[in-house]
Amino acid sequence: MPAQTPAGPIALWRSRSGRAAAFADRCPHRGMRLSHGFVRGETLSCIYHGWSYAQAGNCLRIPAHPGLTPPETIGVATQPVEDSGGIIWISVGEPTARPPRFDGLAPLRSMMVEAGIAALEAAAGTKADGGLLDCAQNAQALRLLLSPQGKARTLMHVLVDEGTGPAKRIAASRAAETLRRKAEDILRSEVAQ
Amino acid sequence: MTRNAMIDEWYPVGLAGQLDTHGRQTALMGEPIGVRLGADGNAKVTGSNGRALPVCIRYGHVWSSLGDPQKALFAIPEADQPGRRLVDVGVVRVRCSPLRAVENFLDIAHFPFVHTDILGAEPHTEVPNYKVEIREDEDEVWATQVKFYQPQAAKSAEGGITTEYMYRVPAPTCSILYKTCPPRPGEWDVITLFVQPLAEDLCDVWPWMALFDDETSMADLIHFQQTIFLQDRSILENQIPRLLPLDPGMEIPTRADLTSVAYRRWLKRHGYIYGAQLVAQ
Amino acid sequence: MKLYDYVLSPSCYKARLMAALTGVKLDIRPVDFHPGAEHRGPELMALNPAGSIPILEDGDLILTESSAMLVYLAAKAAPQWLGNDTALQAARVQQWLSFSHRLTGSLGAARLHEMLLRPGDIATLQWQGMAALRELEAGLVEQHIRGQRFLASDRPTIADVACFPYVALAPDGGVSLDPYPSIRLWSRAIRSLEGFIEMPGIHRLHELKPEPVLDAGEA
Ligand SMILES: N[C@@H](CCC(=O)N[C@@H](CS)C(=O)NCC(=O)O)C(=O)O
Ligand code: FES
Ligand SMILES: [Fe+2]
Repeated sequence: MPAQTPAGPIALWRSRSGRAAAFADRCPHRGMRLSHGFVRGETLSCIYHGWSYAQAGNCLRIPAHPGLTPPETIGVATQPVEDSGGIIWISVGEPTARPPRFDGLAPLRSMMVEAGIAALEAAAGTKADGGLLDCAQNAQALRLLLSPQGKARTLMHVLVDEGTGPAKRIAASRAAETLRRKAEDILRSEVAQ
Repeated sequence: MTRNAMIDEWYPVGLAGQLDTHGRQTALMGEPIGVRLGADGNAKVTGSNGRALPVCIRYGHVWSSLGDPQKALFAIPEADQPGRRLVDVGVVRVRCSPLRAVENFLDIAHFPFVHTDILGAEPHTEVPNYKVEIREDEDEVWATQVKFYQPQAAKSAEGGITTEYMYRVPAPTCSILYKTCPPRPGEWDVITLFVQPLAEDLCDVWPWMALFDDETSMADLIHFQQTIFLQDRSILENQIPRLLPLDPGMEIPTRADLTSVAYRRWLKRHGYIYGAQLVAQ
Repeated sequence: MKLYDYVLSPSCYKARLMAALTGVKLDIRPVDFHPGAEHRGPELMALNPAGSIPILEDGDLILTESSAMLVYLAAKAAPQWLGNDTALQAARVQQWLSFSHRLTGSLGAARLHEMLLRPGDIATLQWQGMAALRELEAGLVEQHIRGQRFLASDRPTIADVACFPYVALAPDGGVSLDPYPSIRLWSRAIRSLEGFIEMPGIHRLHELKPEPVLDAGEA
């Protein structure tokens, strides 16, 4: 699937055996986005001409030339990935520490907000701390993990306490929708002024 | 800035059969233009300042130019051959460089993955060697003896066959392909891609065909070609960058891409760089 | 049963897809929608004064609304696709069937504008399309929390077939699907169904087949 990082767009994928990998979202052959590709076993293939890549990014197969072993120079840039507690973390450059752990919390959903973190903070009436925003919305406590996507967009991951039942999960999802609407309205009224 | 070498070329700007006095507003390389049927019954094309632009009607389309074309529009002798059905496929807009649209048309290695079970299918993915040349007399790029296994090569084809193609690039944004014609061994079906550059990263594509096929309905022929092109469109809108990179370090060709390599070289040689990216960014 | 059909029409595709999923054979009559505008010609206007396609003809019956075609095909060939086991399920099916027409008016119109140069206020259409996708995403998140993979149930219904085409083709109209992980999973679930067929703009899920190998001698 496609995702954004400060180092540019990536294709995020999970192999058959369950290992996640992050590639630069551009096939070196003719520039097709690799996030449109397909996963077979432990490889990701490009949808355009089917070149396939191992998790390390090296090209394994060029279908137009079945007898050819692709030169080692052909490959895509990769980024380190950590799969921790249901959240996938990408590091730009070599990571110096493990990603934070959120013991007792479970991820509920991820949503894109067409507003920056400041507007979300204003909508929530509170400040984010280390990317984590705790707030109440629709009488519902929300824990949000925020990942800026440039200046005016934020990827917002909604976390709930482990063991939360379906009714409260649905309520949390709806509360997050309300918060998103508020933040985007704030941005719109700012732009209008 | 140097003069745009593509300014004197002819470009498709409308279907001849659909011209009316009301006309259509469109664009050529960033300049708004109008295309309409004049009171004298002839097609008129006007530029943004109201100046009259050159016009010719050929291969089902109205052609025009922002500059001063030094040559007549390229010839397709087969277009006048008796017995062919001429198919106006209609316009499709694509958010990509006009040059990327042509390059995709010249490519066969994508058939099994993009035109699955029609123009190609795994495991028949191999592209055998073929011949590519820049014909100096005509100043055109040609690829010949291009062979590929196809499950359903044309509307008139039944079952899989190895199809032979020839590709020809007579103008920077136009390409013609010739492919073996199932009902008439010895003749070639003609399928063209005429591309109207609206901007460097936006184009209107006008596919057109001249086929030997008396069986299939016109709507079916149009649908078949639109199916193929719409499968390509979703690729073209997702190539990065939108412009065609002419910097050799930017993309990696293989032997299967020799037509594309020759096309890029030919563009560069002529300074046909509207829609191209010269230096990697 | 005869379907007046255009290959690039997501609405016609709803009927083709439903027929394929339920094993019904349709007699396809291709319509030159673009560039010929045959749907506005006298023959088709006589069948459907609204001037739209698809049109489904079966004896005396003429249907001109895709949702009705889905009901008809399902009721005849595979009633479990109707999704009316419970009051809740039946209501959810109707909710999404009605919703699907908003997809046509937003994402579908944006696509016609961006692809076939139809007039329209593209910024508004794209914005409405995005709003509809967010609604669908939220609905699918809630279904997932309830342990159900499809819009009205854990089984696919006509509601899924009604919503899938315009959603899957949203990028044709310049509306990105990147921000919707639940739509992505739902779309994959539909594309993996037994009998699923594609339309141009929706690529084959090549991962459903293992990497094919060429037998020796077969080149
Ligand atoms: N209708 C054509 C499809 C042709 C077409 O326009 N496709 C381009 C774009 S990818 C191409 O290169 N086609 C090769 C081909 O026609 O087989 C056919 O009869 O096969
Ligand atoms: S662009 Fe990826 S394989 Fe050709
Ligand atoms: Fe193609």
